[in-house]
Amino acid sequence: MILKDIELLRELCLCFGPSGCEDRVRELIYEQIKDFCDDITIDRMGNLIAVVHSEKADAKKIMVSAHMDEVGFMICDIDSDGYLKFCTVGGIDPRVLSSRAVTVGDENRQTDGIIGSLAIHHQNAEDRKKITPIDKMYIDIGANSKEDAEKYVGIGDFGTFKTNFVLFGKDDKMMRAKAIDDRLGCTVMIEIIRYFAEHKDKKPDCNIAFSFSVREEVGLSGALTAADSIHPDFAIVLESTAIADIADVPENSRVAKVGDGGVISLLDRSTIYDAKFIEFALQTAKENNIAVQIKKYLSGGNDANHIHKSREGVRTLALSAPTRYLHSASCVAKTDDYFAIKELTLKMLENSKNLFERYIGVK
Amino acid sequence: MIDLIKKAVSIQGVSGRESKISEFFAKEISKYTDECYNDNLGNLIAIKHAEVIGDNKKKVMLCAHMDEIGFITTFIEDSGYIRCAPIGGINYIAAAYSLVTFEGGTKGVIVPEREVKAADLTSNKFYIDIGVKDKKEAEKKVKIGECCAVESKITKLCGTIIAGRPLDDRIGCVTMLEIARKISQEGTRLKDDIYYVFSVQEEVGCRGAKTAAYIAGADYALVYDVTGTGDSIGSIPMACKVSGGTAIKIKDSSVICHHDVVDMLTALAKAKGIKHQHEILQHGGTDTSSIQMTGSGCRVGALSIPTRNIHSPCEVCDTKDVEACVDLSIEFLKADKK
Repeated sequence: MILKDIELLRELCLCFGPSGCEDRVRELIYEQIKDFCDDITIDRMGNLIAVVHSEKADAKKIMVSAHMDEVGFMICDIDSDGYLKFCTVGGIDPRVLSSRAVTVGDENRQTDGIIGSLAIHHQNAEDRKKITPIDKMYIDIGANSKEDAEKYVGIGDFGTFKTNFVLFGKDDKMMRAKAIDDRLGCTVMIEIIRYFAEHKDKKPDCNIAFSFSVREEVGLSGALTAADSIHPDFAIVLESTAIADIADVPENSRVAKVGDGGVISLLDRSTIYDAKFIEFALQTAKENNIAVQIKKYLSGGNDANHIHKSREGVRTLALSAPTRYLHSASCVAKTDDYFAIKELTLKMLENSKNLFERYIGVK
Repeated sequence: MIDLIKKAVSIQGVSGRESKISEFFAKEISKYTDECYNDNLGNLIAIKHAEVIGDNKKKVMLCAHMDEIGFITTFIEDSGYIRCAPIGGINYIAAAYSLVTFEGGTKGVIVPEREVKAADLTSNKFYIDIGVKDKKEAEKKVKIGECCAVESKITKLCGTIIAGRPLDDRIGCVTMLEIARKISQEGTRLKDDIYYVFSVQEEVGCRGAKTAAYIAGADYALVYDVTGTGDSIGSIPMACKVSGGTAIKIKDSSVICHHDVVDMLTALAKAKGIKHQHEILQHGGTDTSSIQMTGSGCRVGALSIPTRNIHSPCEVCDTKDVEACVDLSIEFLKADKK
């Protein structure tokens, strides 16, 4: 039996939504939450912002943020044989591309394709030692000419990996899919919005703005404008973090481990997280017996970059799902970590009074 | 001034952990200002309101960062050695075999792994030895997430030259304190609102100044920070040297200063006979850039303290340059602005 949350995550992961073309994902999320929040808007960048209001007049505001977009491709040329030349949208290692099934198109129309490159039979000894650069790869959509290809795609169309969502491992707790980064965070937010709608008595005395943001993967973060318009006092960024809990990586460089709970970052390339907020998160996890781990290595960056520096500054925390093979066709994460992140986020929001009290006296 | 510099460097404040050093500066600057508080990121903002009320009142923001480079504990080995990630631009050659102090007071030594060449020295190729026998003992002394920095010290060299750390940028903070003190002492009545900002997180990408600038919404800003110089053996040619006077920044790799501010500072220095030079820094950025682009923009300039060996345990500068910087700043604050 597949759990309700995981079924929703599956649906979101399968959705087509590279940075700049998040429409499908946004529509799906909108349908899931429209009846459960007090206010829902889509800003000019395309961020979907859902608010759960407090009745208290001077209530604090917490922003919870996850990004809807995923890494992908953009079609930049079509050659006379009907092959599509492409570039990447977001950081993708060229070594994970060759022979991958992909979907290309726009928000309305998508076509199947495959990333092609020269077969081993046609490579000389020198070629085999080298990594095929992206400009020597192409997407094959089965077209036989430029004119034929143009019936299905155009220059500027997008692409994503086309991968099934698969549960595997002991008790089917491991998940393999594209776009776990960051549809997992989106799923957590949807479930929390619904939880507060169903459990009105649990709603904390604060305004919560859930921002499903666009374009995180290309650094042109939608969260920048979302944070400015939401103008929060605090922010929780729900993310996926690349980890290296694999063979040959020394323990001090492994970052975090799949199955050990949500990952709390001390700092990354773009943010130093608020120390008191981290203390609050760790204490909340401990009191409620929720698995949590601290990121052991400085790497990556996320929407917190723009959020924490917006307006007068925002006290920010990042809570991430430890994810193997991030930005590939098959990311791997664990359902236990998903539930640990959902539970911890929920408890932090429910106990937010305790968070605010930590800053009393700090002007 | 040397005593104030010694006090200002003696309190640790690695980027993101500035609360203690902020308390020190709050105590000092509030002697000369009307209000003083910390914003959400931890920037210390002290305001001195205009005393002469005219119809062309401006807001002028002065800014120096109080954070320093350092390390954060990410992992403890079974052996009890501490693994750290860098905070800010670490010069590993300068850091190797230095003594460090953790936030909780534990001391340690930075040790590169054996056989690692200087050029290959990165964050996962060194560890900190705190003198314990195993992980269990280490965990009692140092927590994951605890920061540390190379020990601070100031030594007088020949003449008015001093050496030590972290001059970057406590020397800028002291400059601001001196400006405020002198204005107050001389009874100068200003016609503009002055925002003294002791910013956080400059060393990791000029982050704090951005939110402080948003709050101040200033018309003009001056930034006080150290600048590299061209007077070391093998340095990149640069017409800026220690003891050459306060350095009026024209540009660095993050900012082109507003020409009105550069022209004004230069004219004032010439008119008042204040020792000065011009600075074009090819490698390095300052809070100036964040301030310039916040809100609807700000006319920015910077007065730098020429410093050798920046980000090493022995940064070298001249207190005479600091004095010139203070004098020129006060002239700037007194002057009429567009």
